[in-house]
Amino acid sequence: MINADLGSTVAKPSRAGRNPAAGRVRASRKWLPRIDFRRRIQLWGMALVLPAILFFMVFKFGPMAWAVGLSFTSYDMLSAPAYVGLENYEALLADTVFRESLVNTFVYIAGSTLLITVAGLALALAIATGVPGARHSMMAMFLTNLMPLIAVCLVWRFLLHPHGLVTQLLLPFGIDRVDWLTDSRIAMPMIILVTVWRFAPYFMIVFLAGLLAIPPDYYEAAEIDGANALRRFWLITIPLLAPTIFFVVVVSALLSARIFLMPYIITGGGPGNATRVLSMLIYETGFSYFKMGRAAAISVVLFGIMMVFTFVQMRISQRGEQVYTA
Amino acid sequence: MSQLEIANAAAVDPVVAASPTPALQPPADELAARRRKFILATGALGLGAATAPLSRRTYAQGKAPMNVAFWMFENPQQRPWVHKRVKMYMEKNPNVKVDFQAFTLSDLGKKLSVGFATGTAPEGFITGDWLVPTWLSKGLLAPLDVVKLGYPTMKAYTDDYPPAFVEGAVIKGKAYAFPLWFYGFSNYINTRHFKEVGLDPIKDAPQTYEQLGEVAKRLVIKEGNKFVRQGFKFAMHSSTWTMIQFNPILAQCGGAYFDKAGKCTVNNAAGIKAMTIRTSIVKQHGAEDPADSIATNPLPGMDWLKERNSMFLSHPLPLAAIKSQNQKMFDERYFRAARAPGVEAGKGFTTSYGFNFVVSARAPKDKQEVLHDMYRFIMSDPADAWTDTAPFPLARKSGWSDIPEVKAFADIDEILDARDRGVFHPRTIVFSELADAMHKAVQKILLSNQDIKTALNEAAAEVDRASAAAKKA
Repeated sequence: MINADLGSTVAKPSRAGRNPAAGRVRASRKWLPRIDFRRRIQLWGMALVLPAILFFMVFKFGPMAWAVGLSFTSYDMLSAPAYVGLENYEALLADTVFRESLVNTFVYIAGSTLLITVAGLALALAIATGVPGARHSMMAMFLTNLMPLIAVCLVWRFLLHPHGLVTQLLLPFGIDRVDWLTDSRIAMPMIILVTVWRFAPYFMIVFLAGLLAIPPDYYEAAEIDGANALRRFWLITIPLLAPTIFFVVVVSALLSARIFLMPYIITGGGPGNATRVLSMLIYETGFSYFKMGRAAAISVVLFGIMMVFTFVQMRISQRGEQVYTA
Repeated sequence: MSQLEIANAAAVDPVVAASPTPALQPPADELAARRRKFILATGALGLGAATAPLSRRTYAQGKAPMNVAFWMFENPQQRPWVHKRVKMYMEKNPNVKVDFQAFTLSDLGKKLSVGFATGTAPEGFITGDWLVPTWLSKGLLAPLDVVKLGYPTMKAYTDDYPPAFVEGAVIKGKAYAFPLWFYGFSNYINTRHFKEVGLDPIKDAPQTYEQLGEVAKRLVIKEGNKFVRQGFKFAMHSSTWTMIQFNPILAQCGGAYFDKAGKCTVNNAAGIKAMTIRTSIVKQHGAEDPADSIATNPLPGMDWLKERNSMFLSHPLPLAAIKSQNQKMFDERYFRAARAPGVEAGKGFTTSYGFNFVVSARAPKDKQEVLHDMYRFIMSDPADAWTDTAPFPLARKSGWSDIPEVKAFADIDEILDARDRGVFHPRTIVFSELADAMHKAVQKILLSNQDIKTALNEAAAEVDRASAAAKKA
C-alpha cells in the first residue's frame, strides 16, 4: 500500500494513463525530448562530475593556460600585459643565468632521483630482511617527512655551517673545516643530500609495500636451488620490483623538478648561481624583477621537462599493466 | 500697556523688567511672520543637513566614516611607533578606520606589486626611497600637497630634506614622498677589543680601507682555520647589504653603475678598483671569514653584537638591540660609532637611505586627503619619534635635532654626519637585478675565487640584459 501511495506521487510515463496527476505532468512536459534510462544515467553522471571538472578548469587548467599565454607577453603586474611573441623565449636562450639554472635543475633531478631511489630501496630492504634495529627505527626515519620543510632547511643550514655539527663530527678524521654551502663545487651535492635525507624514507614505505608483495615462495625455491642472497636480489627482487622502482624514479624526478624551498632557504641559490634552479629563477624573475611574462616562459620550459617525465611514467605504467594482464 | 511699551519700560526700569510679564497675545500678523521665519529656518537646516554629504570631504573628515588601508615594513622599533601614532590619529578622528598591516621589508615590495596587480593595494604605504623610481615609473604614486603636510611652500619642503632625497622624490616640481627616517652607516667599534690589542679606539679608528684592513688584522683571533674573532665584517647574506656596502666604495673610486647611455659600467677600472678594496679584507688582510654569514644568515650586525667580530659598518644601532644581545657590552659601554673609512683619509662616507610615506595614485581623492592629514599628524611630534625610535634619525632638518634628548644621545654627531654625507642607492628601475648581480659577483670572487674582472663582466652583462628588457617593456 505504501509503495502504491508513493508510486502515485512519481510521474512514470508508463503509468500516465492510470494516474491522472502524472498524466497532467507528462502533458505539461511534452516539449521535453524523450530520454531513455541509460541516457539519463549518463546525464546524471555528467552532472555529478561537472563541479569537479569546472573546479579543475578554473583553478588548474585555467591558470596553466593563462601562464602559457602570459609567456608571450611583457607583463610587470602593474600595467596591462603586452603581446611580444617569442621574445621571452629568445631572451631565455641568451640568458646565462637561465642556462646555468637549467643545468643545475638537471643535475639536481638526476642526483636526487638516483640517490632517493637507492637510499629508499636500501632502507626498505633493511627492514624487509630484518636487519637488527631497522624495523624499530622505521618510525624515526619517517619522522623526517613529518617535519615542516622550512624547519628542515633551517636546521641543515646550521648543521652545514663551516664549523657546524657536521664538521665537528669530522674533526677526529683531521678535517677541521669544510665550506659545505659556500663552496660552489660542494653546495649542490649538499642540497641533494638534504633532499635525499628528507624524501628517501617516504619512498622507503613505497618500496617496502612492493617488497612485501613479492611471494616468499620464489625466494624459498631459489634458496633450495642454491642461489645466494645477491643472486636472489638481482634475479627475483629487482625484476619483480621494477614497476615500483620506475614509479619511484618518475615521482621523485617530478618532485625534484619542482623543488624550491631547499635551495632558496639553504643557499639562496648561491654561491653565485651554483644552486639556482629553475623554480627559484621563476620566483625571482616574477616577484623580484616583476617580469611575469619572462617568469611564465621559464615555467613553460619547466612544465615541458616535467611533461617528459610524466610521459615516461605513463608509458611505463601502461607497459606494467600489459605485463600483468598478459 | 502695549507690548512695545512694556519692552521699553523694561529697558529703562529693572523693576519693571523683573516684574512678571502679563500674558499678552501678539497680533495675528506678527504670529504669522514668526511662523514663516520658523519654517524658513527649519527648511534651511534641513537643506543644509541634506546637502552636507555632497560637500567636500575635507570639511567632513570628522564626520563621514572612512576606511583607509595602510602598509609598512616590520621593525622592532619603527613599526610600533608608527602604529601607535596611527591609533592616536584614529582616536582623534573616530570616523577614520585605518587597516594597518606590516610585512618584512623584503616582502613589502612584493606584496605591494601583487596588490597593485590585483586591485588590493593599500591607499597609503611606507616605501624605501630606492623603490620610489619603480613606483613612479608605473604611475602608481599620487603627488602630495606639501601645504597639507605642513609646509607653506614647495621650497620650504625641499629645503627641509637632503638634496638627494629631493632629487629622487620631487619630479617636475611635484613631491611624491614624505620622508620619515633617513640614515647613513658608521663603523661600530668594540673598544674593549681595541684596547686588548693595544689600539686606541679613538685615535686608531681606521680612516681608510687600507687602515681598516691593517687594524682588522691585528684584532683577529684564530684557532687553526677557524676564526674565533674576525677583525671586521662585511655582511654577505643579502643583495641589499651588498649594495649598501659596495655603493660608497664605488662612488669614492670615481665609479658609477651606469653611464649616460644607461650601459652598466661597474666592470670598468673604477669598478675593479672598488671591488678590489671591497674584497681586500679577506684576500689581502685575511681578517674576515666571508663564508660564515652566508651559511647562518644572521641578522646584520649580530656577529658584532655577540663580539665575534670587532668592527662592523652599521646603520645607527638601537641601544635596546645592544642590550638584548649583549648586556655586558651595554652596561660597560665598550662600543662607539666612528666615521666609516674612505678610499682617502677623512673623506669616508657610506650609503644613506630612508623610508617615505607615499599615497597610491589609485586612492580616491577623499582618502588621499585623509592620508595627508594622517601623515602630517604622525610626523607632528618629532620628540615622540626620537623617544620611541632612537637612534634612527629623522630625515627632516627642522624641529628635532635640537631636542635635549637628541643632543644628549651618544655618538649623535657621527650619526647625523653619516646621514648628511652619505650617497644614495642608485635610483634605477632595475635596482633588484643590479643588486642581485652585484651580490653574485661578490660571492663568486670571495667564495669561488673568481677573477674580479670576469665576475664584474658577468654582472654588467646581466644588468645590461635587464636594462634592455626594461626599456623594451
